[in-house]
Amino acid sequence: MARGGGNRSRLLLVILLVTALFFITLDLRGVSLTKGSRSVTQTILSPVQKTVSTIFSPVGRFFSDVKNFGKTNAELQDEIALNKQLKSQLARGEDIKGELSQLKSVLDLAGRGNYKVAAARVIARGSASSFSQTITIDQGSSSGIRPDMTVISEDGLIGLVKSTTSSSSIVLLMSDPSFKVGVKIARSQSIGVLSGLGSNTYELDLLDPAGSIQTGDILLTNGSEENKPFIPGVPVGVVTGVDTAPDSLTQSASVSSYANLNDLGVVAVVLSAPTTAPSKPLVPTPNPTVTVYVTAAPVPAPTTSALPSGSPAPAPIASPTTKK
Amino acid sequence: MSPARIASTLAFFFVLFVVQESAVSLIHFPISGFSFYLAIAISMIAFEDHNGALVTGFLSGIVLDLSPTSNAPFGQWALILTLIGFLFAVNKDSISDLTSSPITFVIFVGGGVTFALVAYLGFGSLLDEQNGSLGHDMIVVLGNLLWTLIFTPVFLPAISRVREFTMTSRERL
Repeated sequence: MARGGGNRSRLLLVILLVTALFFITLDLRGVSLTKGSRSVTQTILSPVQKTVSTIFSPVGRFFSDVKNFGKTNAELQDEIALNKQLKSQLARGEDIKGELSQLKSVLDLAGRGNYKVAAARVIARGSASSFSQTITIDQGSSSGIRPDMTVISEDGLIGLVKSTTSSSSIVLLMSDPSFKVGVKIARSQSIGVLSGLGSNTYELDLLDPAGSIQTGDILLTNGSEENKPFIPGVPVGVVTGVDTAPDSLTQSASVSSYANLNDLGVVAVVLSAPTTAPSKPLVPTPNPTVTVYVTAAPVPAPTTSALPSGSPAPAPIASPTTKK
Repeated sequence: MSPARIASTLAFFFVLFVVQESAVSLIHFPISGFSFYLAIAISMIAFEDHNGALVTGFLSGIVLDLSPTSNAPFGQWALILTLIGFLFAVNKDSISDLTSSPITFVIFVGGGVTFALVAYLGFGSLLDEQNGSLGHDMIVVLGNLLWTLIFTPVFLPAISRVREFTMTSRERL
């Protein structure tokens, strides 16, 4: 274009760049036109996302299971079609079962914390065209959801409501680099700020340089004024490593979250909660694992009179013990 | 570019945007996500002539700016994709016809996607946006490049047909 485009192309380029910069300036100055356009887009997108989410999740799994699709026998085709239908129903049933399980767990957590919640299904994940980490849920302002409300899953905190329409909401996940939450260490009650890093690990900066922190410490939300955006006492994660640099002014640590943000099916938005931390512990506990130890019991020496020749020795008695 | 073509291109990009936001974003790609929208938008830009590349870049950017999940200011993608359109328009003269060499075409689309994401990060850092650690961003950019190189040859013929469909009779000549 530099050689052959001519003045008209240059003028067009300048006009388009200036227009883009004009939009950016408007947005940065807080003009509601640009925010309104995104809200309209979300209103248009959310019904499509709901439909696609409902259809796509069982069908996506179903297609990976279908085999022998190219056989020509008509009877076999009927059987395959029936099988396909049954598999589809089975996949959908499994999907619903999984969602119910997550819903039960998240409602259990909400019940223990005396939270009033609105349960919602995840209908979309953040766009790959931007670096922000979000999910879209199928409940909005008509269910009482407002921006800056805490969002939890069965294991604990997952983020906060970023924006809403009447029937959907966008949730900023705690892994987003712009996400920050005030937390306290359950053991020492030291407080700090947890920041998302865009991945599965998080950074904790203690506010008190002399505060106590160690690997394995449990982090809970510290709570915000009037519970917005964060309610107190929600499990956040566990400290996996402490930065012990001697020249550092503040103590920092790496944290692993309780909630698995890659596996969210059903979440709950906390509509109201007590302003104090819940009296019952909300930290998820691992399921007890039953381990059976088998120890060889002393075997009495067989006597030829008691056992016939060639008979096996009696089996040792198993002594079951339970280990958590 | 005629007003009718601008309208049809805009409608096409909006449909593409809905597909990206509602279906493609649900798929968990290994390494990192795949921006189906960016790959197709840059393929469309690469097919266009000088002015067409600029206008297509701007229109695709405006539609992408509508994303409700985006933290960036409205207009950032329009600016970046207009610049991509300019770069493709400049290089179109020196690389003759992109469509006659599919491998070169795919490499250019992959390069365009990578440049767009890096420019988005660079421009975002100027505006004090928080887009994560450098390592994480590099993985996202490289993952997008990988998936673009893999999937672009698959949808290239369809994009070519869609482009012909949106053209007026005069533009086909």
